[in-house]
Amino acid sequence: MKYESQKVAKLYFVAAIGLFVGQILFGLVMGLQYIVGDFLFPEIPFNVARMVHTNLLIVWLLFGFMGAAYYLVPEEAETELFAPWLAKLMFWIFLAAGAATILGYLLVPYATLAELTMNDLLPTMGREFLEQPTITKLGIVVVALAFLFNIGMTILKGRKTVVNLVLLMGLTGLAVFFLFSFYNPVNVVMDKYYWWWVVHLWVEGVWELILGSILAFILIKTTGVDREVIEKWLYIIVAMTLITGIIGTGHHYYWIGTPAFWQWWGSIFSAMEPIPFFMMTVYAFNMVNKRRRNHPNKAAVLWALGTAVMAFLGAGVWGFLHTLAPVNYYTHGTQITAAHGHMAFYGAYVMIVLAMISYSMPMMRGREACNSARAQSMEMWSFWLMTISIIFITLFLTGAGILQVYLQRFSDNPMPFMVVQEKITLFYWLREIAGLVFLLGLVLYIASFFVGKNEPEATVELAK
Amino acid sequence: MAQAFTKAMARNIFYVGTLFFFLLFLALTFQTHSTLPDRDNRQAINDTVALGKKVWEQNDCIGCHTLLGEGAYFAPELGNVYKRFGSTDAIKAFIASRPKDGIPGRRSMPQFNLSDEELTAVAEFLKYVSGIKTNNWPPSPQG
Amino acid sequence: MCIIRLIQFWTCENRETIMEKNNWPPGDLVIWFFILAELLVFGVFFAAYAFTRANNVELFNEYQLHLDRNAALINTVALITSSYFVVRAVAAIRDDNSKGCFHWLLAALFMGVVFLVVKGMEYHHHFSLGINLSTNTFYMFYLSLTFFHFLHVILGMIILLAVALKARSGGYSAAEHTGVETGASYWHMVDLVWMILFPLVYVMR
Repeated sequence: MKYESQKVAKLYFVAAIGLFVGQILFGLVMGLQYIVGDFLFPEIPFNVARMVHTNLLIVWLLFGFMGAAYYLVPEEAETELFAPWLAKLMFWIFLAAGAATILGYLLVPYATLAELTMNDLLPTMGREFLEQPTITKLGIVVVALAFLFNIGMTILKGRKTVVNLVLLMGLTGLAVFFLFSFYNPVNVVMDKYYWWWVVHLWVEGVWELILGSILAFILIKTTGVDREVIEKWLYIIVAMTLITGIIGTGHHYYWIGTPAFWQWWGSIFSAMEPIPFFMMTVYAFNMVNKRRRNHPNKAAVLWALGTAVMAFLGAGVWGFLHTLAPVNYYTHGTQITAAHGHMAFYGAYVMIVLAMISYSMPMMRGREACNSARAQSMEMWSFWLMTISIIFITLFLTGAGILQVYLQRFSDNPMPFMVVQEKITLFYWLREIAGLVFLLGLVLYIASFFVGKNEPEATVELAK
Repeated sequence: MAQAFTKAMARNIFYVGTLFFFLLFLALTFQTHSTLPDRDNRQAINDTVALGKKVWEQNDCIGCHTLLGEGAYFAPELGNVYKRFGSTDAIKAFIASRPKDGIPGRRSMPQFNLSDEELTAVAEFLKYVSGIKTNNWPPSPQG
Repeated sequence: MCIIRLIQFWTCENRETIMEKNNWPPGDLVIWFFILAELLVFGVFFAAYAFTRANNVELFNEYQLHLDRNAALINTVALITSSYFVVRAVAAIRDDNSKGCFHWLLAALFMGVVFLVVKGMEYHHHFSLGINLSTNTFYMFYLSLTFFHFLHVILGMIILLAVALKARSGGYSAAEHTGVETGASYWHMVDLVWMILFPLVYVMR
């Protein structure tokens, strides 16, 4: 760590990990509700648990992205952060708004929350992932603008690296496309059409710019490979991401009232969306193989390689499985989608944030470069537990989804939804067990911050 | 070969490629808009449907159900529920009759205590959605 | 597979030596990566066209007659001519003739403009009849394929223009003209795609 103001990232990372725990706990609640339908009913109905689960995910990833930006932008720009106080202020505002929103979901019925926050003035609530009260959405815009201002000014006054520029473009795109969440016409087709401009253009567009630049930063730092080489790759990967991903939005426009030509455009372009993820995997391994130094923070390198592989599997392979229109006709809106969503989010975004935390946290906590060997070993255990359990969650949900598609849509006598759900309960049990293993991994992950604090840092020799 | 591949080249491809495909996306969006009046059943939209969408949103129905395949996968698809149930009255009766404390051991829809006007509105909203041309999705009436 | 080979090649240690020894590929390597990617997209589009046509032969044959084959023929000639001009431009710069290179590129650009005007008139005709992507499957493919190609012609012309301007200001030489070869490669790709598109969409019955 070269600049004092980078330390502001620590706040963001601590909050991110805390909210991550909440997300997983509510995930387990939902997983159980899939099996024991009346679990916690009517206190926490499924839709409330789901809102909490998905909104916590989004919020903690945003905390993670912001923390990552506050850490890496000053270091790349070679200057102190423009306004550390603003970063701290925005942290508390965002945390308070986030916590208030989550408590609102849990403490009062959603309709009451809508009434309390005067949703009628500008109705934006009640759409998947955008359930936040309008006032919270406005708060997100304010926080995002202040954040962009802070980051932008820092970049402006310092060195302009490709990593910083791509990151800034990604973050700006994130803020710009979020504005479509305020557009909510009665016309359901138009509503859905532009809803995807937030959701798809986030996770399959601008977020990948953020992912790419954070990964590039970590690779530059841990491998010592020439910056020029890594930055070239970064440009090509994000170019391919947007070239395939923008028109790839079409894979959401098959069955929502939009015209049939999207079935061709969407299939062809989204079928190529795995290419940038594949390139990312090739590049990450290449850079590590060509490394000029052995970084003692083995855990961070593991997370970085892990994200490259898991993003390719989750977003690339599992996305491709059901992206072609004739396949998607049967799989649209089933557990197959859920399977893909879980692995893609974990692989692409959870892991990159954890990689950044793994790389930067030891230095922000006063270490020279990394944690003790014992802490790292525990962190790597948590890596494998979480990663393997998410693979199993994905496999079990895929199994559930294939059966669901067959029984409910494909067989000669399609069965009603609820009948099918009972027939695939076994898969939900297995998924829940895998989820518990994931929680165990998460507990170990947090514990790794508290073990071996008094032991010396791992050295390259020890790390080998 | 003086230079195999420069960073400037990669950068240009990124900027030009992104602009190129974003403009293409806008063109396709424009094209989509011109076809929507024949597909999105907009002539069925009225004040009742608008109220229905509000009720739909303010009770977070999408948190359990899918609508045209999008939403949560905990409860049945509702884009075609009007066709599956056969009438708005059947939809209203179903929503109104949900037990307050659920069904032991099973999934149950919460009792939302909707007024008759709200019940009518949400049923009319679902009827409107069932008239959207979805390229014959879902594959079976079970959704 | 080509792409995987290309990545392997691109990342292998002695890439530069191999390339210098064989002077291959012409132009910038990365443009070949994109040319392959582009050909892949067009290839998939063409395959989808062929597959769908096989299932709707009568519909496709009927509406194919509504297309203006003469206009397409003019455009084919325009693109072939422009590709020839581009070849001359590359030859000129290999002789260290910047001015000649610039002029040949201008000529190629002029043929590009001819293509855009003729194609634009065709589109004007279709749109005035109210034809769009949703009219029927044939028009969906016809408009998608030709419009996607149309945009590539525009992009190719922008690239050629940038190369031409740099050539005029003496930015290339016989020793160093990767940029000219790169732009030329891209333009030949755009031409090549039309050479497949024209018979497939306009002529084949």
